[in-house]
Amino acid sequence: MTTEVVITGIGVVSPIGIGRRVFFDSLEKGETGFREITLFDTSALNVHIAGEISDFDPVVFLGKKGLRTLDRSTKLVCSAAMLAIEDADLTITETNTHSIGVCIGTTFGSLHSISQFDREGLIEGPRFVNPSFFPNTVINSPASQISIRFNIKGFNTTISTGVCSGLDAISYASDFIKLGRADVVIAGAVEELCEETFIGFHNMGLLSGVDGSESLCCPFDKRRNGFILSEGAIVFVLENRKHAETRGAKIFARVQGYTSCITSEAEDALSEAISSALKDASMNPEEVEYISAGANSTVELDRLETKALKKVLGDHIYKIPVSSIKSMIGETFSAAGAFSLGAAVCALNRGFLPPTVNYRVKDPECDLDYVPNEARPMDVNSALVIASDLYGNSSVVVINKI
Amino acid sequence: MSTRVVVTGLGVVSSIGTGWQEFWSNLLNGKSGISDITSIDTSAHFTHKGGEIKDFNPQKFIPEALMKSYSRATILAVVAAKQAFLDAAIEIPFAQDIPVGICYGTTTGPIQVIEDINNIYLQEQTFPSHLFFQLPPHTTVSAISKELGLKGPSLVLSTACAAGNYAIGSGYDLIRMQKVKMVVCCASDAFSRISFTGFNQFKAVAPEKCQPFDKNRKGMMVAEGAGALILEDLEYAMKRGAKIYAEIIGYGLSCDARHMTSPSVDGIVACMKKALKEAGISPEDVDYISAHGTGTLANDRTECAAIKEVFGKRYKEIPISSIKSMLGHTMGAASALEAIACTLAIKHSIIPPTINFETPDPECDINCVPNKARKHEVNYVLNNSYAFGGNNASVVLKRFVE
Repeated sequence: MTTEVVITGIGVVSPIGIGRRVFFDSLEKGETGFREITLFDTSALNVHIAGEISDFDPVVFLGKKGLRTLDRSTKLVCSAAMLAIEDADLTITETNTHSIGVCIGTTFGSLHSISQFDREGLIEGPRFVNPSFFPNTVINSPASQISIRFNIKGFNTTISTGVCSGLDAISYASDFIKLGRADVVIAGAVEELCEETFIGFHNMGLLSGVDGSESLCCPFDKRRNGFILSEGAIVFVLENRKHAETRGAKIFARVQGYTSCITSEAEDALSEAISSALKDASMNPEEVEYISAGANSTVELDRLETKALKKVLGDHIYKIPVSSIKSMIGETFSAAGAFSLGAAVCALNRGFLPPTVNYRVKDPECDLDYVPNEARPMDVNSALVIASDLYGNSSVVVINKI
Repeated sequence: MSTRVVVTGLGVVSSIGTGWQEFWSNLLNGKSGISDITSIDTSAHFTHKGGEIKDFNPQKFIPEALMKSYSRATILAVVAAKQAFLDAAIEIPFAQDIPVGICYGTTTGPIQVIEDINNIYLQEQTFPSHLFFQLPPHTTVSAISKELGLKGPSLVLSTACAAGNYAIGSGYDLIRMQKVKMVVCCASDAFSRISFTGFNQFKAVAPEKCQPFDKNRKGMMVAEGAGALILEDLEYAMKRGAKIYAEIIGYGLSCDARHMTSPSVDGIVACMKKALKEAGISPEDVDYISAHGTGTLANDRTECAAIKEVFGKRYKEIPISSIKSMLGHTMGAASALEAIACTLAIKHSIIPPTINFETPDPECDINCVPNKARKHEVNYVLNNSYAFGGNNASVVLKRFVE
């Protein structure tokens, strides 16, 4: 019998709530997590709001000890990991630690740390740089701190594939379980809100409101004009199904299939990823009951996603509800795919589909059923989760009920 | 699983040569790639030497117009990947309609872009948004995909100084799980002011030369480089008549889960044991170990202690060398370049030396192949790499026999 991979725990630190239950409740209520930025000064910029998690206090989850030198990404992801481990009721001991791994997706997670470390050297002189912040300049430091804090020795991997990072981390972890390298993997993704990333996206003209118009987040809506940058961490406990059943763990969903695709043509990459993931899941397009989309309220990406879905799923796509929770949490970049997976797990377990909120004006080019504005009571058995960008990176994960 | 994975192409960009032929001949001659640093001003630093690549003409491989849109890490990686493709006698652009994977390893990816942004930001108080686009490490994979004309799954493993081995491992998995027939495994890092500052502040940098395992060793040397290996499904490689350098038969990962920067014997032992177990061989079978061997007190001592534990009585007899003695530490690229050296050691039955070896250290009383390359039949090689975060990875390569 082939090994099956299941999800047995979820830890969330998001702009719409901390902890699985609060996060799922907020998805049901259609709450949004956008607020004035307090982490850095935005007075010289055109955009002042983001999905900042202003009520995040790492001490609550991690205690006071050892927090001083950790950067925000690390605190976010370690807190989410702690919540996930607790949610899965997983005990890590010297006996099982070698069969447990960590895999985290992050891309800009260390950007602030790296940038500040460099600036200190430039301003104060290289001999005055505080070496205790040097370890934060490697991209794998958030993931590694999870291992250090929770004594996880099996393996530790960091994946940096931009917006695909979160789903790629899930795929990598699932492969490791299927190959028998681990029974359990703590897998997820993180992105912190920082000045460097914010100004970067701002000056590239990608943020909603950067041209002086209103800051909006309304995926698939005709009014969409860019994304709202956001932060957060979401971590899953992935487990060999047998292992989970033996220890009597509650099972949220099965990771049925996944793939990623890169090519220089964006629409091609996404349609290829969707069809390969379905093939990997041994599923027909008709068996997909819900799609947790990656649309982030930019003109091109939402249109591209709609087009690729039509291309692969044909007319059947009009019968499948598609929603984007980025309407509520914003663009968490590296963490985005993992958050969309969280929404899909919610749909499978809570009997409702998370809505695309703030949907008002129909765009003829985006004409699918986007579950507008209100959560829809519905029992679904399977869901397809998408993460993609405009530059030819796409990842897709398919989950279903056991 | 019966799918076998072989190495069919090699690409190198290093301080001792571009292309594997020049690299290999210099390795065997014990040529050092360490020189006075010219890309940054080191006057305020404690040390002034490093492993910069100085006679490198990427124009032969990358159109001038595209060069500006690539970071140095990307340029290094693209050149190595193209060489590897040509070495494997595959035409560019790739003409076959099959997915080809790209697994890329890096410590900090386009870190020098952050330095460029900081230079401009601190002088002009402006943020160069055109550089922001080069910041995410997966832009390197996009460039490789575009330059080689590839479409397929991709991964960016940003697991610091073990990233090369991680990338090779992931490529091996993609083929073994029959997701693709061919993978470009590539790793690169550019010389970085940030790394140079950080390691200097750690007092971990040698002023003149890198002397792994020597009693008077003074530290590592910050360097840059790129290495690429084409991995293929054996059947596919045979069918197209590819020349086969070596076979990859397994790898192991582990995490120290103890400290961000100081290595642990237990973690390294676990890693080597896992790699040997997956390869299905015993310590008695190993003919050569390519050490992580950075030349720092802590690393070399810890690695030797771990090797003693795994290899018992044989530890003095197995040749164990560190080509970091010649190249310095090329960060994420290191284990990819070392895997290339391992591949060539198998192919040519010669082991590259550990140069600058003068005084034996009783705590590192291994057979480090001092100063001169040695003829030695090599059937099984263990390639070790360790990273910040306690992320360890060892790959096992084998002489190819049908």
